[in-house]
Amino acid sequence: MALSAHSDPASLPRRSFAYRKLVAAGAGFEAVNGAATAMDFGDPEAESAVARRLGLADLSPLPRTGFKGAGTADWLAGQGLAVPDRSNRAQRQADGLLAARLAPGELLILGGLDGDAGPVDRLDRAWQDAPIPPETPRGFPVPRAHTNAWYRLSGSAAPAMFAKLCGVDLRTHKFTDLDIAQTQIARISGIIIRDDLGTGDAAVPAFHLVFDSASAAYLWDCLIDAMAEFDGGLVGLSALRAVSA
Amino acid sequence: MNGQDYRLDAPEGLLIDRDRPVSFRFEGQYYHGYAGDTLASALAANGQLMLSRSFKYHRPRGPLTMAGLDCNSYVQVGDAPNVQADRLPITEGLTAAALNVKGSLRNDRDRWVEWIADFLPVGFYYKAFFRPRGIWNYWEGFIRRRAGLGTVDRTTPHDDYDKAYMFADVAVVGGGPAGLSAALQAAQAGGEVILIDENVLLGGSLTYARFGTDAAQGRKLAEDLAAQVAAQANITVLDRATCTGWFPDNWLAVIRGNRLIKLRAKQAVLASGSVEQPIVFRHNDLPGVMPGSAVQRLIRHYGVKPGTRAVVATGNDHGYGVALDLADAGIQVAGLVDLRTQPDATPLSEAVGAAGIAVRTGHTVWEAVPGPGKRCITGAVIDAIAGDGKVAGRGERIDCDLIITSVGYSPLGQLLCHCGGRLVYDEALASFVVTDPPAGTYVAGSANAVFDLDAVQADGRRAGWAAAMAAGLNAGAEPAAPGATGAEGINFPWPIFPHPQGKDFVDFDEDQTVRDVENAVADGFENIELVKRYTTVGMGPSQGRHSALNAVRLTARANGRGLPGAVVTTQRPPFKPESFGHLAGRGFEPVRHTAMHWRHLERGAEMMPAGLWLRPACYPGGLTREAAIAEESLAVRRGVGLIDVSTLGGLEVRGPDAAEFMNRMYTFAYVKQPEGRSRYVLMTDPTGAVVDDGVACRFNAQHFYVTATTGGVDAVYRTMLRWNAEWRLDVDVTNVTASYAGVNIAGPRSRQVLETLDCDVDLSAAAFPYMGVREGVLAGIPVRLLRVGFVGELGFELHCPAAYGEALWDLLMEAGAPFGIRPFGVEAQRMLRLEKGHIIIGQDTDGLTTPHEADMVWAIAKKKPFFVGKRSIEIQAQDRPLSRKLVGFTLPDGAPVPPECTLVIRGTEIVGRVTSAVRSPSLGRIVGLAYVHPDDAEPGKTFHIKLEDGKFIAATVAPLPFYDPDNKRQEM
Repeated sequence: MALSAHSDPASLPRRSFAYRKLVAAGAGFEAVNGAATAMDFGDPEAESAVARRLGLADLSPLPRTGFKGAGTADWLAGQGLAVPDRSNRAQRQADGLLAARLAPGELLILGGLDGDAGPVDRLDRAWQDAPIPPETPRGFPVPRAHTNAWYRLSGSAAPAMFAKLCGVDLRTHKFTDLDIAQTQIARISGIIIRDDLGTGDAAVPAFHLVFDSASAAYLWDCLIDAMAEFDGGLVGLSALRAVSA
Repeated sequence: MNGQDYRLDAPEGLLIDRDRPVSFRFEGQYYHGYAGDTLASALAANGQLMLSRSFKYHRPRGPLTMAGLDCNSYVQVGDAPNVQADRLPITEGLTAAALNVKGSLRNDRDRWVEWIADFLPVGFYYKAFFRPRGIWNYWEGFIRRRAGLGTVDRTTPHDDYDKAYMFADVAVVGGGPAGLSAALQAAQAGGEVILIDENVLLGGSLTYARFGTDAAQGRKLAEDLAAQVAAQANITVLDRATCTGWFPDNWLAVIRGNRLIKLRAKQAVLASGSVEQPIVFRHNDLPGVMPGSAVQRLIRHYGVKPGTRAVVATGNDHGYGVALDLADAGIQVAGLVDLRTQPDATPLSEAVGAAGIAVRTGHTVWEAVPGPGKRCITGAVIDAIAGDGKVAGRGERIDCDLIITSVGYSPLGQLLCHCGGRLVYDEALASFVVTDPPAGTYVAGSANAVFDLDAVQADGRRAGWAAAMAAGLNAGAEPAAPGATGAEGINFPWPIFPHPQGKDFVDFDEDQTVRDVENAVADGFENIELVKRYTTVGMGPSQGRHSALNAVRLTARANGRGLPGAVVTTQRPPFKPESFGHLAGRGFEPVRHTAMHWRHLERGAEMMPAGLWLRPACYPGGLTREAAIAEESLAVRRGVGLIDVSTLGGLEVRGPDAAEFMNRMYTFAYVKQPEGRSRYVLMTDPTGAVVDDGVACRFNAQHFYVTATTGGVDAVYRTMLRWNAEWRLDVDVTNVTASYAGVNIAGPRSRQVLETLDCDVDLSAAAFPYMGVREGVLAGIPVRLLRVGFVGELGFELHCPAAYGEALWDLLMEAGAPFGIRPFGVEAQRMLRLEKGHIIIGQDTDGLTTPHEADMVWAIAKKKPFFVGKRSIEIQAQDRPLSRKLVGFTLPDGAPVPPECTLVIRGTEIVGRVTSAVRSPSLGRIVGLAYVHPDDAEPGKTFHIKLEDGKFIAATVAPLPFYDPDNKRQEM
């Protein structure tokens, strides 16, 4: 949860992989999940409009985790998670999590926009607290919060923008809500998950982009460049929350 | 207005906006045109047909196709060479110049080249410049100064190009009547259709050609079909776009503006039409000689009449339509020459007769009469045809400034040849026809040898329907098949009339004449592929679009093999020239940054690439590079240093079979490795060659955290997955390289620095010995601690979750400040490890290095039943004597530091090379590693290194390590 205002992301030990880009862009930060998170870039209201057109947000500080290996799906189901029934599909959870099944034995768990680390921490703790060796296979944790940076692209122009960076057909009628593509974006590997903001007619197409954390600055520049054609812009977490409400 | 004396009134000029005048410069002179004009059309409106000069003989050239299908119209526009004047829209202030001129287009000082044409026969390069030896070096500069198309400005600023993907159920290439019909039919099935057309206006030939006595018939149909396409929401029109490549599975390369579109279509229809072919006669290349379709484009698209008095030479009914169009445009038709002896009467021929145009059947144009400087023509010499390629010799001159030809077409089927289709000569049609289209592709319209307008549309509907069905769409009942194609008699079978005085051009790009083709065959190059290479026919930018048909005809006649079954030469992408900017696109050059990257920059680090990563090489801080590296290494030896090792590979190996898996992947033994300890890992491939190394940290019975080299980790990870797919052990491997940031705090004071921080791990030597591993929390940051000694000093590698990496760096730099902590870079680390005798995989080893050669047998567990490479290593040890051995060496005082890869010579043989060498500030001498002959490998022996200047220097083999041989310092 948002705790208190921090003007300097470096004042907290856990830092977004893109925080220097955010500082350079004039982001206003708040501590979320123990790290400075870009809440806005000066005009949250205008950013909501940008988010509907084409917006880029850094969600790297938000909670996430992953599990892989034999027994993963069953173990997670045993933890109360609604596991998607097939690979490359995601499923929204009652507690705000998004469970993305990357393979029969691999899941990526993304936290909600509220930044509440509780549901993710609960899964991580449950795995850690189980005995070693386990009584039944339960997979292994993958440190997704550090392996991967996490951006969110939103807006009606996002598929056209992605077409300049990625060879997968991400148009909304082909790549439907909760579809997953594990592909190359601007020549680096990444996971794209469609997870629209809002519901019904007001829903805005939105995509999680989960990729190599060491490439955060590189891909940031690629995205900014590709977005320019569509008048895309940066949006903070506040705008995403507003659009998804 | 403003000198546009050749401009026609509306409704001609579909593409121009007469309310928007545009002024521009060509060859230094100002001209005026209208928005919508191309450079070529605007110049023609001003009476300027001459655009450039030819590549070889510098002959004047003017518009040929007006469709961007030739290089007659290539001009230089600013820093852009080879811009097609017949496709380039004029814009206010545009400045263009001719190509292949020395001086000016009008007074080209290199036009003398034509006068020595008889001394430049086909193949003269090969015949003239190989003797005496070395003569090519003289001629090369001369030729290169005169060769090439246009001028490249190397200071041109970077322009923005990019690429984008598109997808379709059905792609249709070509927006003429066939393409429009195909797109509409496919779209009615509900699929996604992309229609690609390179013109501003949809309709193709409908927008300029005459299909009957009603001149407006085509235009009306084009408007109707285009309106239907516009109303079809599931058709995306890519106008002004050119498909330049057709790759397997309908991967189409489409260029539109500065963007290369990578289009993936389930099914694709080629409806690209056909290109009109020239008649071969003397001076058939000069400005004023052009095909009927080109002059029709000038009239209908741009409202331009390119001359005042024309002779039309035709071998089909289309020429009659052209003659009517010329007459309608106010151009006097001085005569219509029909190559056919007895053409059938048609409504068009009757209309020509009614218009009072004189028709001469069984005749051809034998020669164009050049005007001053060959910059135009002043007449046509016509003659009766006395057999294939022969005339009666009763030449008759007709004054004219235009010779318009219409003797047939060649299908633009080259795109399908990119992916397996063929263009094969059909004698009945006297034309190439597309055969063997690959699966998932369809051909329609004149590209499919269908010319009757109704049949063309039916053929398009058939192709669109078939494509939609094959794409899995419900396209309904099959449309009616096309009726008579109208293809018979379109192509005149032999429109080639060699002239005794030559200049009868077959290929305008390369200035190749009939004699050149015949001489090539006479020289023994009988196959069309060889003719192409020997003469360069078809090798110019037009890629044979207007030369291949006649070149094949001439070759077949000269070699006596006949035309049936003849094929065009191999067609390769691109179909039309594309720029390097399109191929390069947006520059995606991934780069990886460690969490501390910006801290390094803030300290002025000199960065170096390591795979995709950037790493600090050193931190000069005002010192020379060498001094900085020396200072950094001494800081580690005497105090404490900190290096970013985040790029080091990290792999989690977890599961019940983790130890067994490690035992198989690496040479050492791991089953009994204690928890909380690390152990060196050496990986060999099945041939026994060393491929990677690192350490394996055992955190519990089922969990190893394994490090790998920065450059090798991805390959190691893939190798592990591949082997385990075969072994099926109960183990999971995860690449966590990016998950952990890492530092190595090293030096005798490193423990003191860490002990100032709140840490839940006992850091004392007794509790945490050398090669121990621990997990803990350091000042609130979760860390994995590894006591390793790569640099040969007391040291701790700290690996933390990547998002904490910068904070960890900040923490240690701050805590180390009172101890004089100094960050050190990769170069200092390399020096320190070399002093300690540690090898770097990939630098001190190569793709063939065995553990025996690298003196690493100590890292092999001999009692294990198996590890990858074990059998090969055993065979090598038993059966093959070593041919080289890696040793440490020193050099005498005053010697230079030999660069890496400096050769080691024994007698006259190369026996090895230096792999690493440094001037060690700690040891006060040069130390290094080198491969030497095994007989020279004993400490104390000497071997010889050949320096770059050719001098030899004697090196002495020294025992390893050079520094702290008792390993006391790293085990403190």
